[in-house]
Order: sequence, then C-alpha cells, then structure tokens
Amino acid sequence: MLVSLNWLKQGLDKITISDDELVKLIGARLVEVEGVIDNTHKYDKVYAVQVKYCEKIPDTHLSLCKIDDGGKAEDVERDSDGYVQVMCGAPNVHEGMFAAWVAPGAIVPATFGTDEPFKIGMRKMLGKYDSYGMMAGADEVDLGDDHTGIIELDSSVAEPGKPFADIFNLSDKILDIENKSLTHRPDTFGILGFRREVAGILGQKFTSPDWYLDGKQDFENDKSVKLDIEIDEKLCPRYTALVLESTGAEYPKTISTGATLLARAGMRPIDPVVDATNLCMLTYGQPLHAFDYDKFVAVGGTDSPKIIVRAAKKGEKLELLDGTTVELTPDDIVITSNNVPVALAGAMGGKSTAIDENTKRIILESATFSLYNLRKTQMAHGIFSEAITRFTKGQPAGQTLPVALRCARDLQAYFKPLAAFDTQKETPEPIVVDVTLAQINGLLGSDFSGKDVKTILENVEFAVELDGDNISVTAPFWRTDIHIAEDIIEEVGRLTGFDNIKPVLPLHATADPNPLFALKTQIRNILSARGANEVLTYSFVHGDLMEKVGQKPDNAYKIVNSISPDLQYIRQSIVPSLLDKSYGNLRAGYDRFALYEMNQVYPKNLGFDDDKTPQGLPQLGFVFVSNKEQSNYYLAKKYLENLLEVLGAKFELAKFTNSATNSYYEPKRSAAIIAGNMTIGYIGEIKGSVAKSFKLSRGIAAFELDLTALLALARGAAAKTFRLSNYPSVSRDLTLTVAGDTAYAALDSKIRDALKDYIYKLSPVSIYQADGADTKNISFHLEFAHPDKTLTKNEIQDIMDKLESI
Amino acid sequence: MATLQELKNELKALGAEYAKIKDLPADQRADFGKKINERKNQLNAEIAAAEAAAEQEDVAPLDISAPCDINGQMPEFLTADQGSQHPLMTELDRVISIYQSMGFDVVESVQLDDEYHMFDSLNFAKGHPARDGYDTFRTEEGFIPPAHTSTMQNRVLKANAHKLKEGKAIAVAVPGRVYRNEDIDATHEHTFYQCEGVYVSEDCTLGNMLAILREFFEKYYGQKLNIKTQPGYFPFTEPSLEFLIEKPASLGGKGDGWLEMLGCGMIHPNVLKAAGIDPTKYQGFAWGGGIDRLIMLRYQLNDIRYLESAKLDFLKEFAC
Repeated sequence: MLVSLNWLKQGLDKITISDDELVKLIGARLVEVEGVIDNTHKYDKVYAVQVKYCEKIPDTHLSLCKIDDGGKAEDVERDSDGYVQVMCGAPNVHEGMFAAWVAPGAIVPATFGTDEPFKIGMRKMLGKYDSYGMMAGADEVDLGDDHTGIIELDSSVAEPGKPFADIFNLSDKILDIENKSLTHRPDTFGILGFRREVAGILGQKFTSPDWYLDGKQDFENDKSVKLDIEIDEKLCPRYTALVLESTGAEYPKTISTGATLLARAGMRPIDPVVDATNLCMLTYGQPLHAFDYDKFVAVGGTDSPKIIVRAAKKGEKLELLDGTTVELTPDDIVITSNNVPVALAGAMGGKSTAIDENTKRIILESATFSLYNLRKTQMAHGIFSEAITRFTKGQPAGQTLPVALRCARDLQAYFKPLAAFDTQKETPEPIVVDVTLAQINGLLGSDFSGKDVKTILENVEFAVELDGDNISVTAPFWRTDIHIAEDIIEEVGRLTGFDNIKPVLPLHATADPNPLFALKTQIRNILSARGANEVLTYSFVHGDLMEKVGQKPDNAYKIVNSISPDLQYIRQSIVPSLLDKSYGNLRAGYDRFALYEMNQVYPKNLGFDDDKTPQGLPQLGFVFVSNKEQSNYYLAKKYLENLLEVLGAKFELAKFTNSATNSYYEPKRSAAIIAGNMTIGYIGEIKGSVAKSFKLSRGIAAFELDLTALLALARGAAAKTFRLSNYPSVSRDLTLTVAGDTAYAALDSKIRDALKDYIYKLSPVSIYQADGADTKNISFHLEFAHPDKTLTKNEIQDIMDKLESI
Repeated sequence: MATLQELKNELKALGAEYAKIKDLPADQRADFGKKINERKNQLNAEIAAAEAAAEQEDVAPLDISAPCDINGQMPEFLTADQGSQHPLMTELDRVISIYQSMGFDVVESVQLDDEYHMFDSLNFAKGHPARDGYDTFRTEEGFIPPAHTSTMQNRVLKANAHKLKEGKAIAVAVPGRVYRNEDIDATHEHTFYQCEGVYVSEDCTLGNMLAILREFFEKYYGQKLNIKTQPGYFPFTEPSLEFLIEKPASLGGKGDGWLEMLGCGMIHPNVLKAAGIDPTKYQGFAWGGGIDRLIMLRYQLNDIRYLESAKLDFLKEFAC
C-alpha cells in the first residue's frame, strides 16, 4: 500500500518532528515501512502556464503555441510579450487553456527517480520551429495513463508561473507500506484510519468527522425508486445500496486533486464516478462499486428489482468488467439481480451492469463480505485488486452506510441521491473490554497510570472509563480486531512505543544439553576430522529418485502442491539424496570423498506419533565415493567402526535382506548393523544398477544409522577403560592360513580370546589369497604384554604357538 | 527354465499376437485380450526377476567382517584437511549452546506436522487469510511440512506445563528445519532453518522478553547492542513485534544500520489455553528467527542456494 505523507498530514495538528523521524515512529509503532519514495523534487520546474496563442501547422498534428509562464523559466527565448514558444501535438490544446508545462532543464516527472531520468530542453521541430520544454499529458506527469491529450488545469487554481506541485501539493513523500503487518487492522487501509493511528502515536487527540460516526442520511428516500436487498449474513454481514440519478451536468475536463491522490496511491484516474468510489476506498478503507441501475433492473427481468447476495453455483459463469468470463465456484459470492449474477462480490463488477456515458441512474454498493470466501475468490480467480486486498482484511460493517453517503455527497455535482437501502436495521452493541492497570503493567513491564492509559486510548477514539485500577474500554466500530484484554494492552504498549519499555532480564534457570544435539555434534566432529564432508540436502525428492534406488513411492508422503516434480515426495532415507549429490562433485574434480548428512526422514511405514502426526526418524547417512571401480565397503566400514567405537556403542554386523527403505544395498556385499538385539542401521555397497543410474562407479559404499537408537546405546555405554602395562611389551607378526570362506570375525575373536589375559593391541595387516587357491593368509601385527610381570622368552613362544595353531 | 533372452523374445512375440485381435469375432475379443494381458504381466515379472538374478550372479559376496578386501589395501581415512562441517549446523550449535547457557532447554522441531500444530493451536482462525502468508506445502493426507518452528509451541507448552505448577518457568528453544512453497533465488529458499524460543511464567513481561533477546544477541555477537522493535502481526502473539538489533561491529556496523532479526510477542491467551495452561495465572512470550540469515550475514554469503547444494566447492570453505 502506498501512502502519501502530505495527505496523511492533512487534518493532523502541526507536526514538529522531521519527516524522517515521523517515518521512524510510524515504523516503530504502527507498521513496517518498506521504503520512502521521495518526490519532493519530482515536479521541479513544472509550471502552470496559460496558452496565449495557438495555431495549427497545416498537414501536421502539431500546433505552434505561445505560453505565459509568468516569466518563471530561465534560458528560454521570449517574444515581445514575454511568452515562450512550445510546439504541441495534443488535439485538445487550445488558446486560453491552462496547462502543465515542463520547462527546459526539468526532468520529465514520469521518469523521475527511474534509471533513465529524461531531462527536457529545447528542440527544433519540423526543421524550423523552436520548441521549449513541453506541455504535459497525464502520463508524462505520472498522474495517470492518459496520453490522448495534455492535462488541463482549472482556472480557479492555476495562474501563469505557479509551480505545478503547489497546486496539488505534489512535493510529497510516498510511504511504501508492508500490508502483511496490518493483516488484522482493516481500519488502517484507509488514510483516515492510518492518520488516526499517527495522531495516537504523536500523542494527538484524533476526532473522526461526525458524518463518519453517525452515518445520518441527509435526504428523503424517493418512494418511487424500488430496490429490495436479500443477503445471507454469513456471506455478507451488511449491504448498503444508494440509488443516484444523473443531474445531466457534464464532467469537467480539468484534472482534480482527487485524481492526483489516486495516482499517488498507484491507481489510475478514470472518470468522476469511478474516481469518487476509489477515492472513498483510499480514504476510508471501504471499497464501493457502481452499477447502472437501469441495466441492473433489465438483467433481473422484473420491475421489482432485488439485489440477492448469495453463494455462486458450481459452473455458473459471469462476464466481468475487464471482458474475461469466469467460471464460478460455490466459494465465490455473487451479487445478483433477481438471482442473475451481475458481479463477483468484492472482486469485480460484471459487464452487463457496467456504467457508461448513457447511464442515467446508478446503484452505489457499499458492503462487507466474508473475508474467508473472498480469500478463496482471490486465489481461485487470481484477482489482487486494491478492493479485494481491503475486503480480505474484514472491513468493519459499521461504515458501509456512512461511506456510501459520503461518496454520494462527493458526486453531487453530477448525481443526485434518490434513495438509500440498507440491510442493517439496528446498530450493533459495541465491544467492551475490561482490563486492569495491573494487567497492563504486568504484561508489558511498564509503569503506566490509569490516566495515561485513558489518554492513550482516547486519542484514537476508544471510550475509556476508569474505576480505580479497573479500566473499561469501549472499542469504536472500526476496531473489529479488539476482543480481549491483551488487545488493549498491545494498543497501550504500541502507541507509546514498545521501545520505551525497559528490558529487564529474568533469573536464569539451568538447562541440560539436548542429548541428541550433543550426539550429533560429536558425530560431526568425528567424521569431519576424518576427512568427511557434512552436507544438507532437501527433504523433498523426485519420485524417480525413489524408483532408481528401489524405494516404493507409495511408502512416501506425497506433496500435493510441490514446486516441481523434483520436490514431490518426502524422502524415506538420507543415502539416496547423497548418491544424487555425488556425481556433481565427481564432475567438479573431486575424485575421492565422503559425504554425510544428519536429518529427519519420514517413510510412511514408521506410522504415527502419539499426537497422530507422522513419526519421523533422525538418521545419519554416509557415502564413500571414488571415481574408480573398486569396493569402498571397507572404507565405509572403517568410518562406521571408528565412529561407533569413539561413541562407545558396541555392535556387530550381520547378513540381511533388503526391505522397503534400504533397497539400494547389494545384499551380498552389505550388512545390518546390530546392537543388542536391534538393527540400528545398514552398511554396504550400493547395487551396481543403482550406482549406474546415478552415473557412479560400481563399489560406492554407504551406511546409515538410526540416531535415536544410537543415542540410547551411546548413553548406556560404559566409560571406556584403559589398561596399560608397566612391563615391556612384545611386538610380533602373525600370519594364519585359513579356508577361503572363513569369516574374518571368527578368526579375530579366537585371537582375542587367546590373548584375553594379556594387555594387547591387534592390527590386521593384509589378507592374501593366491589365484585359484582355496585358502587365504591373514596377517596381523601384534603387541602384547603381561599386566603384572615381564614375559619370558618361553612364555612368549607359548603364546605365539597357541596363536599359530588357531 | 527360460533364459532372459527367451523371455524377452516371447514378450515381443506376444505384442505381434495381440495385433490379431482385430481379426477375431467381437464376442471373443475380450477373452483373447485378457489372456494376452495376463501372460504379458507374468512375463514382465519373470523378466524383472531374471534381471535381478542376473545382477546377483554377477556379484561375488564379500566378507562383511573383514578389515579389507582379499589382496586389497588396508583402508585409510581421508586426510583431515579434506573434511568440513556444514555452516548451518555449526551455527545451529552455536545458537543452541547460547540458549542453553541462558537456561533454555532445547527441543528439535518436527519436519512433518499437521494443521492443528501449525495453525489451529496457534490461534489462526480456520480459513483465515493469515494462513496464506505461510505458503505451506501439504501432503495428500493434509500433513504439513511446517512453515515455522512455532509449530512446536503447543507440544513444548504441554510437555513443560508441570514446571509451572512447581513454581518454575518454562524456557525452551526449538531449532528446526522449515519449509515454504516459494520459488528459490539468491535470497529465497523453500527449505531453511529457524529457531523458536518459548518462555512462560507467572509474571514474565514484554520487558523481560526484550532483555532476553538482547542478551542472546549480545552473547552471539560478543558485544553490547542497541535494540529496537516494530509492531508486527502474528495470530499467536498479542502484542506482536519485530525485533531489530543494531548492526554489530563484526558485520561492519558503525552504529548506524539496523538488522531485523526475528518476530516475537507475548503468547496469545488462546495458545496457552490450547496447551492446557491457564492464561489468567500464567503469561509468556515467544519468538522465532531464521538461522540461514545469521549465516548469510556472518559469511557475507551472496546466494542462499549454496546451503542445500551439497557442493564440495562451497563446503570445503568450511574445513575444520
């Protein structure tokens, strides 16, 4: 929303602070100001001028004009009367008119503040006519789209040489307001409400105009004008309709202050009726719509016209003002003439009842609609107009009649009010909220007196009654957001500035570290210190990715409004994401690396949590990637073993069969990681076909661990004990020849068993098998010592004999 | 048993066979088509099984317990200088350790939640336009990858309500991954991290909230900081504020600029009520801010998309 600072200041007491400070205060106490567009100098050297002489140049569209600029412009040639010569191509240029002249040296206002400001000078036209500056069209002075002619100024406001900006107060600053931060404040979507807030912030007492507060009708209804209104209050809490009749007066050709206000808010001036309704919307936050009364009656097909506001029917169609035809849904609200749709409520009028130059009578609609329905309309039909932006905030029903009457008065030069119709028969009871001074100061940490609170709230037109510490607050009708004591407390804190509340630190309690986070930090330290790279990848994956690794998409939660198919499913495990990110890194020139990620996964087979939301699993995924066709299983295993050893988690590896989520491991070259009786993860080579589908070599290995289970193991682990012998240790090599199919683990445990009474260190050195042989040699390096004595030669030999006989 | 090639040949032949359907009398066509289809499905299954078996035959088993391959080298870790930790994760650690030092328990946010936790329990009226502002993703079942860590408020309040009865305060920080349905560019990601804070006691005030937030950022940036606020709107807090800090010296601040760090406010009574906490006895405040933004600022990162890219070129800048 764009707010003119000049307009905002009108009607406020004199402001003694600078504009910058005012904008800061607005930012601190009302709404986020995204930016300030400084137009203070936008209209420099643009003057009101009178065309003193105008002659059409034959066979061209140009006229030669002499203008009176009051002698303001410099560096121009003047004739003997002191007039300046300007060529003008506009068809409406004529002698005697007042126009806006962009003098030489001025920036054309429409290009002011853009990347390419255009400075005007003197041009020679048709090879012989000097033309100084230019007489501007509405588009050139940034006051509309009209380029059919130059703008004409009313003689009552213009005089030769008067700065154009002074006529309409255009030396202005425009605040760009972030609408989101006012979602709950429909009243501030009109300049009146915005101004009221600024008054409150500045400590000024604000008073709304009487007509706005009482909404009294100042004319008698013409009994001959017929119009019934039928509403569904759930969809349309209040509907006001005024019928006006044309006085026959012609619309003026001159530009009005109102038009400049519309332009400053980013809207286009169109004609006096539309402009008046739009201006009322910008001023009071109440969107209005004008129907052609006679067309409305004709569409309804009876002479007892009736406005029926109802939900649209499925498949019902409506041609809108902009010529598009929309298919309606039951969430849309339609305005109908005897049940024939004539407007999409809150969004846009229909073509069949549009006003035009022949319109004699109009219906001026001022209503409120269900913001929930209009929100759906907005989304379904993609209509994001100024009007629907306001309607979806929930405009107060209290202002429909007063603003409609206001608009009728603004239009009285051209239309005479005939009758007013309104569905509201009684004024609803205002909202009264009780709050205590202790509540206010107790929630804010402030020190307000009852009198302070009364003044603060009354400044913005709350009615306040003090009774000791008890404060009874009556909300004005436009504060539909006020319901509970906290709403009042917010007003008091906000209007006086939350920044004026003294920050006071409460006493700290103590907190225990979150064990899962501590574990993750530990894992991160271990893996990264061993050369692995931690990554983060999206929780969302493509269905194809799951198919590639053999996971079934129907075990994954599917996003119905995903950004792209790449992000359509919530992943079932981490490893596939890592595989997906490996090839890019190989291509980037990294030929050997390990990636890991710790994050939550949500395969459907995990079921639901106690609170009926999907159960997630914190998981560690790890891959070891190289660009050579080789087994990386033992590399991955080294990382896994080391990690679990440092964490103190005892485990063993066992054969397993593929299941729904771990389908990418090659079962002959993979293992389940078992601790206690529980499988806490898997390690293995990725199936060749899977690796190939990611453009990776056969032999890529990975592991994954359930971090919840790992946490339980790591927490339950006994502290690591160290035994060092004070006696010399013996260093020996050992090679054992075993059958080709002997598992290493079996051998390992036998050796350890044989050494159980000693302090020892066992390191495998190699596993050798000759081509075609049915045995293999496994070599170890061994260091051992006795805990209590020095081993003798014979004792050492006994131990080695025992080991070699394994 | 038929070989893989034979099976494939039969499948091909079946295609040709099916073409004969147009020569049959109409009353026999359905039956014929059905038979062909049954056989086709059967063949496809057999081909898949045969292919899987072929892959298996190709694969020699390995000794899962061994330290290395037969005749292979003993594996070695990559060199330590190759390793790196993800900047988002180390930042998250830094953030939560500060909260812990300030007496806040830490609970991780869920990554798939429901309408109740994401909106209903946070005082969003059903169908209220304020829900649109969150651009949520939805699953077929109507679950929501949460768009803010506030999705945990109800759980955290419920789980800790007993502390209030013991005369203690609830003080919890909730880091987590959140999601918004928006197109990504250099400054927007659909996946990012936030940290929520929740504090409830008998008598805590907005002044307390401002002090806690200031303390957090002073610890985080290691210097005294000026703070300021702007009014905001969140259905789950009343009053609602945006919290700003003076640009710290470590980020090149010279006491002039302001940084918008998070949204905050006094917890709406309806949110306390939804968690079974009596809002007439207890009051609290909550806040939430982005972690990605902290990193963007700290490292002067010009493109947020690096964070979830898993590109080693980027990650190795954070070698440990």
